[in-house]
Amino acid sequence: MQQLLRRDVGAFEELYQRHSRIVYSLVLRILRQGSTAEEVVQDVFLQLWRNSARYDLSRPFIPWLLTLARNRALDQLRLKGERQRRREEQTEELPQIVSAAPEYEEALDAQRRAERVRSLIGSLPSAQKKAIELAYFEGLSHSEIAASLKEPLGTVKSWIRNGLLRLKEGLQSS
Amino acid sequence: MSANDQFRELIEAYAMGSLDAPEREQVEAHLAGGCVDCEKALEEARWLVSQLAYLAPDAQPSDMLKGRLLQTVRAEAAVRRTLPHEVRRAGIPLWLWAGVAALLLFSAYSAWNEKELRDTVANLEQQAAAQQAERQKLEHELTVTKLQAHEAMIWSDPRSKKIMLSSKDPKMPQLEAMWHPDMGLVVRGWKTPSPGEKRVLQLWLISKKSGKPMPATTFWPDANGKFSAMVENPPDTMSDTQALAITAEPMGGSQQPTSAPMWVGGVS
Repeated sequence: MQQLLRRDVGAFEELYQRHSRIVYSLVLRILRQGSTAEEVVQDVFLQLWRNSARYDLSRPFIPWLLTLARNRALDQLRLKGERQRRREEQTEELPQIVSAAPEYEEALDAQRRAERVRSLIGSLPSAQKKAIELAYFEGLSHSEIAASLKEPLGTVKSWIRNGLLRLKEGLQSS
Repeated sequence: MSANDQFRELIEAYAMGSLDAPEREQVEAHLAGGCVDCEKALEEARWLVSQLAYLAPDAQPSDMLKGRLLQTVRAEAAVRRTLPHEVRRAGIPLWLWAGVAALLLFSAYSAWNEKELRDTVANLEQQAAAQQAERQKLEHELTVTKLQAHEAMIWSDPRSKKIMLSSKDPKMPQLEAMWHPDMGLVVRGWKTPSPGEKRVLQLWLISKKSGKPMPATTFWPDANGKFSAMVENPPDTMSDTQALAITAEPMGGSQQPTSAPMWVGGVS
């Protein structure tokens, strides 16, 4: 990342090689359309290249990149009119706050982490899992999810929070 | 339950962006008040939420995407490197002309020093010629860089329309084109077979009105089958073009196609 800050093309290529797969997987899951997903991924990496100086090196890179990619993909969903505009910010800006790396983050490599996350979320009841997926991949609000699943609002809130806390505990214990 | 506990319960949903507006505004107001504990909890919640990306089914982007991105960043990096040269290549330096002028003046009243002066002037002219050659070289590099930057802008501009060109032969690679209404049209390919000795690939625009092909440009893939052909001023507009087609033609290109299209891609 430090090399990228110096506009090193080789560093950019290596970074793309390393992270393009998870970024593309995420964006494709949100947009469900290959060519549009590639346009968004291109946009994300170009933004990374052009604005790398704004990245805070003390923060973990991958969560920041995934947050940027998710925001861009959800913006694209809104542009396509597939859902109402709800998040009014973050159209052009890089994510301003990047999560701190908990101590256990480095302990898991990408593949193990993917397996662990899928296993932990997969062990939830299907409606709870669905609520989390609607929030994360579709960008729906609590009330929109409640309407979509025909469940009480309070139930949806609990499902999402408890599901995320369970994921956190599971990752911490890994 | 303390105020902090109340907001802590909302922090994961806030990080995910799933709070409805009233709750979201409450959390934002609380954070704006400078609650350090909640700020820290939010940072951790953002990390946690980002881990949900791993639920997405594994998928691999195309090689074309990587090619496009690398071409763009290389062009931008080259522009950045070239800019300082532009300052240097602004022409023959003033000191050089001043030197020539001074020497010429001196020669008027120093005939006995004529030979030495001629040598010096010749030397200065040689330097001027070398600078001129360097200038031409830099101008060429700048032209190439500007062309690459122009192509990169077409590829990354949201107003550009992507067109995929396919072949009937399943062994042939798919080509892609990007057409910008103002900046022009670029066609690219990877692993493209050579059109054969003394032949070129030629791009055609198929008119929507007449159905006739209009020649756009000719090009060759390199040894690795890679090419990028740009048409800054296409012979017709995007809205009046039905399709793009590529044929193999004799060197120099043809006014009308002499072979069947190898690739075709619908525009509208």
